[in-house]
Amino acid sequence: MKVIEAKIVVLGSQGVGKTSLVVRYIGKMFSKHISPTIGASFFTCNINLDNARVKLQVWDTAGQERFRSMAPMYYRNANAALLVFDITSVSSFTAIKGWVKELQSNVPEAMVLSVVGNKSDLEQYRAVTVSEATQFAASIGAHYCETSALHDQQGIDQVFLNTASALLRLSSSNTMSSLRAYDSSDGDDKIPTGCPTEEDATHTGKVELPSWSIDNIAHGDVQKNCC
Amino acid sequence: MWYGPNLQRSYKYMMFASKMPSLRIDKSDLKCKNGCDYFGNPQWQGYCSKCHREQMQRQRKAEKESSATLPKPEQKKTDRGLKITSHSSFSKFEEKRLRQSETLKKANLLKFSVFKKSSTDDHDHSAEKRLPEFKIPAMVNEGMKSDFRMKFSQLSPSMDRDARVFVHSFIMDVIKCANVLTVDELSERVQRQYQRFMRHMDTSSHFTNVDSDTKELLMDFVEKHAMTYLHELPSVVFSPTGTDDERLDRAMSERIQQLSWVGEKHLECKLDRSNAECRQLLYKAISELLGMDSALSPGGKLSRVRRACRHVLRLCSHAAPASADDLLPALIFTVLKANPPRLVSNINFVTRFCNAQRLMTGEGGYYFTNLCCAVSFIENLTAESLNMDKKEFDSYMAMPASIGGSSWAAALSLCGAAREAQEQREGAAQVLAQAQQLQARADSLAANALSFEEQIAKKVQDVLAKTPLEIKPRRELPRFGKFKEINTAALIDLGSNNDTEEPKATAKQPQPQATTTQLTEPVYTATDSVEITHKQPDTSVIVQPSDEPKLNILGFEVIERESPSKSPQNWDLKKTGSTELLTPSPLGFTPFDSRSIDELMTPDEFVTDHLPPGLSNINYDIDLSDFSGDNSIAEDAPKTENKDPFSPDGLRKTVPFDPFAPQTSKDYAVLESFDEFSFVHKNQETDPFEVVHRGNNPFSPVEMRADLENDPFTPQKKSTSILDDNDSPTSACLLPSPLLPQSSKKST
Repeated sequence: MKVIEAKIVVLGSQGVGKTSLVVRYIGKMFSKHISPTIGASFFTCNINLDNARVKLQVWDTAGQERFRSMAPMYYRNANAALLVFDITSVSSFTAIKGWVKELQSNVPEAMVLSVVGNKSDLEQYRAVTVSEATQFAASIGAHYCETSALHDQQGIDQVFLNTASALLRLSSSNTMSSLRAYDSSDGDDKIPTGCPTEEDATHTGKVELPSWSIDNIAHGDVQKNCC
Repeated sequence: MWYGPNLQRSYKYMMFASKMPSLRIDKSDLKCKNGCDYFGNPQWQGYCSKCHREQMQRQRKAEKESSATLPKPEQKKTDRGLKITSHSSFSKFEEKRLRQSETLKKANLLKFSVFKKSSTDDHDHSAEKRLPEFKIPAMVNEGMKSDFRMKFSQLSPSMDRDARVFVHSFIMDVIKCANVLTVDELSERVQRQYQRFMRHMDTSSHFTNVDSDTKELLMDFVEKHAMTYLHELPSVVFSPTGTDDERLDRAMSERIQQLSWVGEKHLECKLDRSNAECRQLLYKAISELLGMDSALSPGGKLSRVRRACRHVLRLCSHAAPASADDLLPALIFTVLKANPPRLVSNINFVTRFCNAQRLMTGEGGYYFTNLCCAVSFIENLTAESLNMDKKEFDSYMAMPASIGGSSWAAALSLCGAAREAQEQREGAAQVLAQAQQLQARADSLAANALSFEEQIAKKVQDVLAKTPLEIKPRRELPRFGKFKEINTAALIDLGSNNDTEEPKATAKQPQPQATTTQLTEPVYTATDSVEITHKQPDTSVIVQPSDEPKLNILGFEVIERESPSKSPQNWDLKKTGSTELLTPSPLGFTPFDSRSIDELMTPDEFVTDHLPPGLSNINYDIDLSDFSGDNSIAEDAPKTENKDPFSPDGLRKTVPFDPFAPQTSKDYAVLESFDEFSFVHKNQETDPFEVVHRGNNPFSPVEMRADLENDPFTPQKKSTSILDDNDSPTSACLLPSPLLPQSSKKST
């Protein structure tokens, strides 16, 4: 079975609900015993796909504007990014655009991007339309989905599942074979040993064929051995 | 730490100091320098044959490469450091010194590059020769061995060996390259080494059935040991030469001090100063951060950071799980309050030499990234980043560092005090527990002692009950008195006369028998024979004229009688006393030492009215010799009377006599009335010191008690042997022959 280790960074302005998104996802996995002392800023999860397992390391980032300059440290060596915005706030959506530009200029490697519109339950206050967001996502080669803290559990799962399958495809493609040294184990055929721990989020099957093609996923020039 | 301009030299000194000749050669000194368990050989520069071959190949390859590509001149970026130092208070002098050291270093590097370029040079040889001299201390090896056994007990020793070989080659490589490469190049090289080991683990047959987690652990293990050792070497990997790390450390420390006024409200983190738990968590986080400097390996530092961040996370998660939005400000605040020593150096060390994969991924990597962010935030902190007025910010910055943040400082010091109190309470509790334990043990010991005592008492009682103490009437010692009996029995029986007033003739008759038998005895030992042969004739001769049968036993008596000047009593005393002196054997006598020497009558004690003072010193021996002088006269008479010296006649005649017969026997009543010791009739006792009645001597041997009639231990059989003949009157008083068994005494 293929095992892919990937680092996924969650970006977005302060208050868009990055943390709640993550917490909801972890909360589902840790439903049995979620401890409030466990930080939601970092966690790992395993997503089992049909023929592979994706180990995701989710790095939450501080969204405050004053920490904006520190962001490169976080998304360095990341393989995927969740760009979260608040559908009731136009400024958060424009901030996403800024993030994308920054990523495009700073990250040399191919990266899986996902645009997430949060707070979909606040439909009456919507400031960013679905079409607008979808259009933007398509322009950067990302997948767009909307989530809600209140009822939409499905959306969050979908975000992570999409990211995992995109990563899998990315790793199998030629461009991803020249990954950085630290994740040289990516693409290695490894039989997972040991029983799955509680962190394991097992979503089997259900691989949706994404609407975007492989060419759209990656952006920027692929460099070999960047560091 | 400040090493000054000659740090290069100091390092070299250290290198060779560790190779100082010593009188002791450790076993590890003979081992291969690569750390594999084979022995090295000086011919192979201290390597084992295999490693030497590899080393040679590598060297040749390296030489080829180095001659092909010239080392690039080092380019250092100092502007970042200068930017910070601009507003820190470095003196001009220090700046100058730093520059100097850098130029020196460059010169050094240049020299090295010259060496590298002209590999055929003579200098090169010396340099090449000197470098391999350096040997990694055995401590590293041993530490790795034990650590490996502890951590990976299930793995095969070949992996241990692989790891050690790798660590050795790794350390050697780093040390060699440290002078030549810039820090970044060195870091890259180190990372390549890590990858090499990882590849080795992936490809080597040793590691085929090791899962990836264990491999990562092994990787950490290798990194830890290699880096722990290298960390100790000054300026190799930790704040290496050619970097501004030290200066940045100082700048950062001063910067943090200046920013001590920054409180939780500036950073918009929700910390409750009045909350004790909150304070405790902050205190823990701070102590972990401070501990980062003391950790030696990158992994250790990383784990400290991880622990610190976990505390911080707990600190800022009140209701909902803390997010990065909360974590980072809180961490910044923590760093500001902690002001960890050598912060920049530590961060750079981890960044450069930690296994990159670990640093980029995983929880440790995440938290470390956060720490880096915090540091970078502090470094670049401005009024805007704190959302405050520029003027206000400036006025805060101009404020003396001691004023700001005093409330938190107080809270934290309270925390520290609380922590200390806690520790002391724990210590006290521990001591109390120990005391209680001690008390319990003392109690149990006392109980043990008590029960032991009871046990012993019971045992003693049992034994006493089993063997009741019977106080039997004391038996007479077969002292002189006894021998007198025996002898007299032998003597007197001839006449079959119980009366003590025996005629001379009867007394005379058996005596020659005994004496002659003894005289003819050839078996006397050398020591005995002299005296005995001397005395026996004495007695035998002297007996003849003696009037009293009781005195027949010892002829002295008679002589004394004959000598007109002396009192017989006194002489008796003297004789007996000295006889005992001559015969200290316990055989038949009271042991010599059982009696106080004062009790013995010394000649001096007899300086009485009878004796002229001059005579008090007369030696007993002289007296004996006097008697022996009479021998010639006495010898003939008894011998003629002797019919058969070997005939047991005399002995047979004694058969009716039982030495163990009750003392009531009339025969011996008279004898009993004499004190055995003094040979003086009790009635005649005149001098107080003569009253030495031995009859009640408690020290007399039990077996000698006369009332034991049928003593099972004393064979009643008649001793037919000449040796056993004790009938001689003298033999009793004289030294018992060593040839005679003790029990024979009792047999007549």
